[in-house]
Amino acid sequence: MTAEFRRLGKRGAYRLGQLRAQGVRQSRPPRPLRPRFARHRWYRWSTSTWLLALLAGVVVIAATTVVGWWFMPFVVGVGAGFANRIGGWPWRVAVPAVAVMAAVGWAAPLWIGVLRGLPFGGVARVIAALTGLPGGAAAGVVLTVLIAVVQAMTGYWLGRALTPRLAGDLFR
Amino acid sequence: MSADSRRLRQLIYVGNGVAALAVSACLLTVLGAGLGRFPALGRALVPGRGAWTSAAGARLPDSQTLTVAGLAEPVQVSFTVQGLASITAQTDDDAYTALGYVQAEFRLAQMDLERRVAEGRLAQLIGRSGVPSDEFELRLGLLRTAQQEWAAMPTGSPAAQALLAYAAGVNDYLARARATGQWPVAFSLAHVYPPDWTPVDSLAVQGELTQELGFSTTPLDYLALEQSLGARRTLLWFAPEAADAEPADSITALPAGSASAAAAILAEARAESGALGIAPAAEIASATASTAWAVNGAKVAGGGALLAGDPDLPQTMPSAWYQVALTAPGLAVSGLTVPGLPAILIGHNASIAWSFAPQAGEDTLYYDEQTRQHGRDYLWRGEWRRPRVLRYAIPVRGGPTRQFSMWLAPQGPVLTTAGQTMSVYWTGALGSPDIAAMLGVAKASSFSEFASALAGWQSPDLSFVYADDHGNIGSVTAGQDPRLSLGQGQAWLPLPGTGADDVSGLVPAATGSAVYDPASDVVVAGGAGAVGNAVPGYLSGHSAMSPASFAALEDDAADPIAAVVLPKLLAALRGARLTSEQRMAAGALASWDGQMTASSSGASIWWLFWSSYLTTVFQPWWSAARVPVSLDPYGLSVGASQPSLDADLAAWTVGDQQNAAFSPPRPSLAAAGRFARSPRPAAAAAVSPAAMDMRAAFGQAVNLLAAWMGDNPAGWQFGKLHTAQSPSLTGATALGWGPAPAGGDDSTVNAAVGWLNSQLGPSARVIAGWPTAGQAIAEVSYPGGQSENPASPWYDDQTAGWWAGDYLPMSWAGGAGAPIAWELQP
Repeated sequence: MTAEFRRLGKRGAYRLGQLRAQGVRQSRPPRPLRPRFARHRWYRWSTSTWLLALLAGVVVIAATTVVGWWFMPFVVGVGAGFANRIGGWPWRVAVPAVAVMAAVGWAAPLWIGVLRGLPFGGVARVIAALTGLPGGAAAGVVLTVLIAVVQAMTGYWLGRALTPRLAGDLFR
Repeated sequence: MSADSRRLRQLIYVGNGVAALAVSACLLTVLGAGLGRFPALGRALVPGRGAWTSAAGARLPDSQTLTVAGLAEPVQVSFTVQGLASITAQTDDDAYTALGYVQAEFRLAQMDLERRVAEGRLAQLIGRSGVPSDEFELRLGLLRTAQQEWAAMPTGSPAAQALLAYAAGVNDYLARARATGQWPVAFSLAHVYPPDWTPVDSLAVQGELTQELGFSTTPLDYLALEQSLGARRTLLWFAPEAADAEPADSITALPAGSASAAAAILAEARAESGALGIAPAAEIASATASTAWAVNGAKVAGGGALLAGDPDLPQTMPSAWYQVALTAPGLAVSGLTVPGLPAILIGHNASIAWSFAPQAGEDTLYYDEQTRQHGRDYLWRGEWRRPRVLRYAIPVRGGPTRQFSMWLAPQGPVLTTAGQTMSVYWTGALGSPDIAAMLGVAKASSFSEFASALAGWQSPDLSFVYADDHGNIGSVTAGQDPRLSLGQGQAWLPLPGTGADDVSGLVPAATGSAVYDPASDVVVAGGAGAVGNAVPGYLSGHSAMSPASFAALEDDAADPIAAVVLPKLLAALRGARLTSEQRMAAGALASWDGQMTASSSGASIWWLFWSSYLTTVFQPWWSAARVPVSLDPYGLSVGASQPSLDADLAAWTVGDQQNAAFSPPRPSLAAAGRFARSPRPAAAAAVSPAAMDMRAAFGQAVNLLAAWMGDNPAGWQFGKLHTAQSPSLTGATALGWGPAPAGGDDSTVNAAVGWLNSQLGPSARVIAGWPTAGQAIAEVSYPGGQSENPASPWYDDQTAGWWAGDYLPMSWAGGAGAPIAWELQP
């Protein structure tokens, strides 16, 4: 808010909203140093918070495979979409991050199984053969990981699409 | 922001949300429930519970203690490094319970697939493509037969007890699989899991095996040939056994009129064969490459008895066989089981060894029903009747349940097969106490007990070959054929369904079917030899045979047709004008050893020559007569897979090169056909028609080989033309073995049935016996391995040895020193 000093107290002396029109020119404060990927208009959460959230997502997705909850990449993706509105990550960063989270979430149990001596390579070859995919074992693994990624991406889209405005306004 | 802009943003927001919801719903539905045949990949591929859990079953088992609720007492199971299992129990029932558990552990998907095929439930697993199979099997009635057999089986009988115990073992494994979620990949992908196993399932699997070995469309093929080639030529060229003149108490009684004419024609053919010193023509598609033989006395080094068997079945991955040894008080037996059946079909115990080969018989009769009102009524015994209608619901994965109805005529179900719709009488539909018989054989210790155990066997017609620890050998033909009271029909053709030609009972499949210690010291079944004393060429001339020489015989790739025809071919080529390639090819043939090995160039030349020769001689007749080959290509086409034509052409080439068959019915047709004859040289009169055809066929074979593999015959290896393959039961190419270069053909002992790529041949090889007193030997080999899990080392670990002709010792009671041991606790 600014004021016209010669007419103080009179009607119209106060001009609401006219910034930088009167008085001493104010210099812009220096821009805070933020990582490029975290720059957002509504940015609220720190990078470490985001990384922890992603890690939690990986753990939830991986852990629930034990009980056969195949839809958890989708559920976690929905959560990621919702959190993204709140925490304010640009989509070009969030999308690959969520994809990696889902991929690791389903790949980790496979990797652990391999470390335990389970012949997952052979099973991957069988999966590829029975689903008609060329490429042998790699195709079986890629198909599996892809299913997790597609679920998470769809969930992320849904989470972002349904929750953004309200959540964004609430936390603004 | 203007109101319009705000409204637009709201619309985009809502639209985006709706689209995201719709896509999410679709995705989750497809991944969770599948879409049509598209599997529910979300459920199927989630690590931890989906298809990946099959990895646990792919690991070699550890020594461990397992709980199997169906057992009464603890049972020990041991495995060799190849997975050959030995089960030691305290009762027979526990042995069969453990067998069920172990078979389910290693062959569950195969067992479930077999019962689904037999019971018309294949579409529930594989979708719409399984519906034709389900409809056919439900019409044929394997499930009805199994249900009737089980209902009629006394509860306390050994067979019923074994079936119940076996089912309990399978179900104990299923309970574990349900608890752990560790299923074979096929179930996880389809999201269709096997229900509990019942004795009816085992009997249905038995019915499927009976169908494989005994059901035929031969009368329909004869009908097609008789209507196109004519009755006389069909009888002369294909010699149906049912039309043969036989004593009054034989299998079929022939009518006085047309059948006597048929018998006269056959007698003429046989007289001709006898005069030529050759084997008479075989029945259409009757030849089986399965062989089983036993020798004793001077034929065995050591003077004991040795037996070999190599039943021909489709060579699949996993194998049709599962090897196991069972031990319990009063029971000590080892050999090959079919997953799903609590019985050892080929094997040995402490006293005897046995194998089998299919025996040609009249298992299947077709009846042409006379109908009215668009087939709603049929005529039987002078009255119009309504057929009994059965209705079935076939569940289809990814689609609506299919309802269909079928008719039961008095003679049997109405089927459409080989282009004909007729009712079918099949002895396999009557049921057969095969499991009881094999349980008896497992405990037999002499030939009389062996024959007695097989006395009740009804179907399929099999010839069992026997050897024992006292140096005796023998054979028993097991099975029963229908006795006909023929009215107007001929037994080798479809019969009228009016009731005049109905089956009046059953009679043993072969008279004088038991042979014991013949003077020849040889009994043989199947393949090129008949049951009993007839000694086929591959067994004659041997003495002091050993297991090693048996193994060499089972791997023998000598073509018996080439042995007799090749000299005639070389004679026909002498004096003929040959190209340089043909001269080199003739030279290669002249130095060829007659072995159809993959590395042989002579085998390639012979093989293509023989195929071309058959076509050159017979195809003009087929074309002129318009034989409807498309109705049943396997049974009706001209080719090397048609043993009748093989035998005919070999016989004529050897002894009757002026036979009328070498003169096509319409010369102009032959001249215009694909296989046009070479121009007759000036001295044509001095060259027989057979020689002319041989020259033409040889020229064509050489031209084809040169076009495919270059001009140098040294590079025409048979394996470049001919391959063998063991496809996966799942149909996935990558899970099968081959195609790979392979030797053998339809006529060799080591058979490779089919043309360019063989998928049918010996499904296992067994050598067992007592070459010398007290020295037992039992070896086995089959392609694949003990496990059905393609990720398991036991899936294909025996394949290389199979193709190399190697054998493994059969597992035996106790499995002492086996590296893996299970303790099964009740």
